[in-house]
Amino acid sequence: MSAADKASGAVTSAKSVPSFCYNCVSGPDFLRVKVENGIATEIGPNFDGDRIHPARGRPCVKAYGLVQKTYNPNRILTPMKRTNPKKGMKEDPGFTPISWDEALDTIAEKLKAIRAKGVIDEAGLPRIAASFGHGGTPSNYMGTLPAFLAAWGPVDYSFGSGQGVKCVHSEHLYGEFWHRAFTVSADTPHTRYNISFGANVEVTGGPTAVIRHADARIRGYKRVQVEPSLTITAACSAEWVPIRPKTDPAFMFALIHVLVREHGVEKLDIPFLRDRTASPYLLAPNGLYLRDPDTSKPLLFDEASGRVVAHDTPDVRPAVAGRHKVARAITVDADAARQEFADVEGRTAYQALVDHMERYTPEWASQICDVPADTIRRIANEYLEAASIGETIEIDGVTLPLRPVAVTLGKSVNNGWGAFECCWARTVLAMLVGALENPGGILGTTVRINKPQENRHMSVKPGDDGFMIQYFNPTGPNSWEAQPTTRNLHRTMVPIVGRNGGWSQALGPTQLAWMFQEETPEGWNWPKPTYPELWFVYRSNPAISFWETRRLAEAAAKFPFMVAFAYTVDETNYMADLLLPEATDLESNQLIRMGQTKYMEHFWDHIGVVLRQKAVEPQGEARDFSWIAAELARRSGLIDGYVAQLNRGISGVSPLKGETYDFALDAQSALDPDKVWDAVCKAATVTLSQGKECHGLDWFKEHGFYAIPQSRLGWYLTPTLEKQGLRYELPYQERLLRLGRELGNRLHENEIHWWDEQLTEYVGLPDWHDVPGRWERALVNAGGSLEEFPFWLLATKSMQYHSGGNAAIALMDEVSENLHGATGVIINDKTAEKLGIGENDRVEVRSHIGATYGRAALVKGVRPDTIVIIGQFDHWATPYIKDTERASLNTIAPMSVELTDATGSGADIVRVAIRRADKAAAA
Amino acid sequence: MSAQVNQDKRYVMAIDLRRCVGCQTCTAACKNANATPPGVQWRRVLDIETGEFPDVQRTFMPVGCMHCANPPCMHVCPTTATKLRADGLVTIDYDICIGCANCVMACPYDARSIQHIAKYAYGVPMKSEEARFEPERLGVATKCTFCKDRIDLAAKTGQTPGVDPEVTPACVNSCISDAMHFGDIKDPNSNVSKLLAKTEHFRMHEELGTDPSIYYILDGEEA
Repeated sequence: MSAADKASGAVTSAKSVPSFCYNCVSGPDFLRVKVENGIATEIGPNFDGDRIHPARGRPCVKAYGLVQKTYNPNRILTPMKRTNPKKGMKEDPGFTPISWDEALDTIAEKLKAIRAKGVIDEAGLPRIAASFGHGGTPSNYMGTLPAFLAAWGPVDYSFGSGQGVKCVHSEHLYGEFWHRAFTVSADTPHTRYNISFGANVEVTGGPTAVIRHADARIRGYKRVQVEPSLTITAACSAEWVPIRPKTDPAFMFALIHVLVREHGVEKLDIPFLRDRTASPYLLAPNGLYLRDPDTSKPLLFDEASGRVVAHDTPDVRPAVAGRHKVARAITVDADAARQEFADVEGRTAYQALVDHMERYTPEWASQICDVPADTIRRIANEYLEAASIGETIEIDGVTLPLRPVAVTLGKSVNNGWGAFECCWARTVLAMLVGALENPGGILGTTVRINKPQENRHMSVKPGDDGFMIQYFNPTGPNSWEAQPTTRNLHRTMVPIVGRNGGWSQALGPTQLAWMFQEETPEGWNWPKPTYPELWFVYRSNPAISFWETRRLAEAAAKFPFMVAFAYTVDETNYMADLLLPEATDLESNQLIRMGQTKYMEHFWDHIGVVLRQKAVEPQGEARDFSWIAAELARRSGLIDGYVAQLNRGISGVSPLKGETYDFALDAQSALDPDKVWDAVCKAATVTLSQGKECHGLDWFKEHGFYAIPQSRLGWYLTPTLEKQGLRYELPYQERLLRLGRELGNRLHENEIHWWDEQLTEYVGLPDWHDVPGRWERALVNAGGSLEEFPFWLLATKSMQYHSGGNAAIALMDEVSENLHGATGVIINDKTAEKLGIGENDRVEVRSHIGATYGRAALVKGVRPDTIVIIGQFDHWATPYIKDTERASLNTIAPMSVELTDATGSGADIVRVAIRRADKAAAA
Repeated sequence: MSAQVNQDKRYVMAIDLRRCVGCQTCTAACKNANATPPGVQWRRVLDIETGEFPDVQRTFMPVGCMHCANPPCMHVCPTTATKLRADGLVTIDYDICIGCANCVMACPYDARSIQHIAKYAYGVPMKSEEARFEPERLGVATKCTFCKDRIDLAAKTGQTPGVDPEVTPACVNSCISDAMHFGDIKDPNSNVSKLLAKTEHFRMHEELGTDPSIYYILDGEEA
């Protein structure tokens, strides 16, 4: 461009670059970047994908912040090193620019020194740790870093930033266990009735969920939103039921009660219960399955022959309900303890459910949930009627049951105490009407604890007792991991989280890792947890996004050496020793999968791959992540392993070498990111097209994505189970019961009792256990009183900020302000009036561990006993947002073992007091 | 009385309130497309709460310039900077506007802004802001143009606004819930004409006689 052109503002070059946004778990969403004179100026949809992408090629509001993200003057634009050896919130890090050579050599020397000592330290823990942000989204931006980490070997992913325990955690674990559903979704394109317990899909489901639910509203589906506040999703629902916080299991138990006791089995989906679930399995009086004495197979009663037979006996008609005499049987308890029975009465698992739910009437639930019994009963009846049991749908020539009802769960309902009960009850509600993994019902969208991630159907294989195979962490006397190998103890304490590498580990009880760095519980008889000698952090800010964030920041300050891939300074990398500026969203290339393997509602009519494209040159000295990863590998002597991992396909989509193709990289070409992604593009298209097409990076730069059709039959798991003659492990939880007992045996043999409360979650059928009371008791145990902290504080999300780590983006701040309370403290207007709090008053929200401050937003759409804060704020280091005062639940919600459930998760809820800040100052 | 007669075309927007989720994607897309400075929103989505706990409703309502056929802003403009085009678009000629703010006061939709000094998202101009800075917008009234340049392009290319994305307003293109539609209401076969023929709808402050060009759909089948 000439000087004259520049002066006149003339556009001498312009292009529109296809790319994607994956700033939250609801990606990828297509987009285009308008680039004028080499500068990104505008984001817009990519209409080339309007028939491929479920959201018609449109990204959500967050993507429109990417121009500002690129040119934000607060970016870190050169490697920096810390000059102040002291670390802490009150210690200026004194970050000073250094060269890339100095930064990378410093890290490489550390890595080589660590390797020389051994990658595992004296406590049996990895010397290197890594923390990545929300729900795996950083992997869509970190290029080939996974290849470097895999080449290194053991890495501890224990230090979560919220993902792992503040996500929909129990849903992840139990969802995969019951139906290979890392995330559980309504089959929205076919659903007619959706009971949503806090699932805020209009905010967190991305454009795909937004358009699907909008379409569903127009065609007349009904969604009932059960949630303490009138969130965006509640606002867009046909009915809002303002339930008392954390009492959702009681509501769901009452729904089950209405179905199984007021309607009865004749009104339910008997073929589904009979053939696809363990409802017919007979239970002994001791709560274990009655089994064949010779084969140990669970028994059931065959109505056709009138005999008790093994579950896999062909040509039988199992009885779903009732009690049946069994002449001879055994049960198998924890540690293979067998008990023999003769002439015993066994009741079916379904019958046990019916008996168990007797006391959970809508009238009982009404008292707990603060919802009229008539409302609960009506919703149950509407659900059953809408299930239209007997109706079918034809999909691609195959006739399947159509069960257009779904119960969906949101964060803090499906994580923390009570979440097991909610996940179980939701899945049972689907089971009762045959809506589990059938059209119109609930379905899973991907797997992470099981393999392969790209196709959950392939993870379905026969396992024990006629169920799918499971990969639990072992709990046997000789197989249990008696000494933790990660700082969050995931293999030792949480059998169900499994052993599928980084994902299983990252889904462990990550708050334990943070807490036990400082103090271990009484009865800890393992080596004191060590600090990781080197900690990598990327797109992760646990000092804002976890609980008790000030305490966490001080814990992070004690880590000996932290390397942060840094966009701006933030509250976590304030403790870093090195900051490395990576090329951000619009500045680098990366090919990822789309459709089928993603979260939320990302079941598409296509599968394929999409390129995140370098639309503009990186700002300053920011470098392509794949270049950084390659240089780390080269300088630390790991290049061969790095190349091997790349060729395995770890940072791509397919192996780079197959039977009919060879795009394998060597050590030299692996250093060039363009060559890496060119090979990945080619391998992906050859694989997807089964050898018919081969497209390199240049093709993708022009076209953006490559897709092939995917039958909707692939959305549903039930036909896959049917083909293999398998049953869902529902409604009774004999295996979990046994696992819990075995875990208890191991822990108690080692005189570990601080996890005993968590062991109570392992039951055959869950009972109500005063879930909110757990938080109340925790408060009292900490020396507080309910009178002193009379309100519940909850957190929820906004689309503008949801998991994008974009608090530094001014545009998001501006547009989010159009939503009432989006950046404030939401309080019921009548409650506020009683407290003398007016709109926009500065308020103090205080829990027993501290206070947070913000502006009051008075609304009518929240329970009088509940305060709500949207987002995760209270920044003190991140430029731009630190200059605003935004309250955050995270500042004042405690980390505690007491509030950790058996899966290792907690929930965003805490008892608080609220008052005008001027009154607080005067007190 | 309408200020405009014998229009061949009249571009309007039809927004289905059942679909809108208040996500502000249109707000952000407009700011991207039109490079409006911080605090100036030609398009935004209102968040409206009604009722009393527990019977409360919350509605999201995209608003902006209504491109009235009888625009109060035009009537009060002392310099004729505000005009009504034959296709229904209300425009502002920045060369003529003196920034008196009469129009800002007269507009019943709070759709107009005047900025007297340059403002940047982070205080100092970013490259993207420098590249798109338009000094002629300082000291004058600005508002939603229905992405006028795109409409004008359609006249040259023969494309159809509201159908072809290249000639459709950015907010409509961006809408992730498919709530926003755009087209020529004078054409009985246009997408908006068909949609409005089948649905119940209203216009904001219709009683003021402004004859606004944004229709809000409340119920009924889609075309």
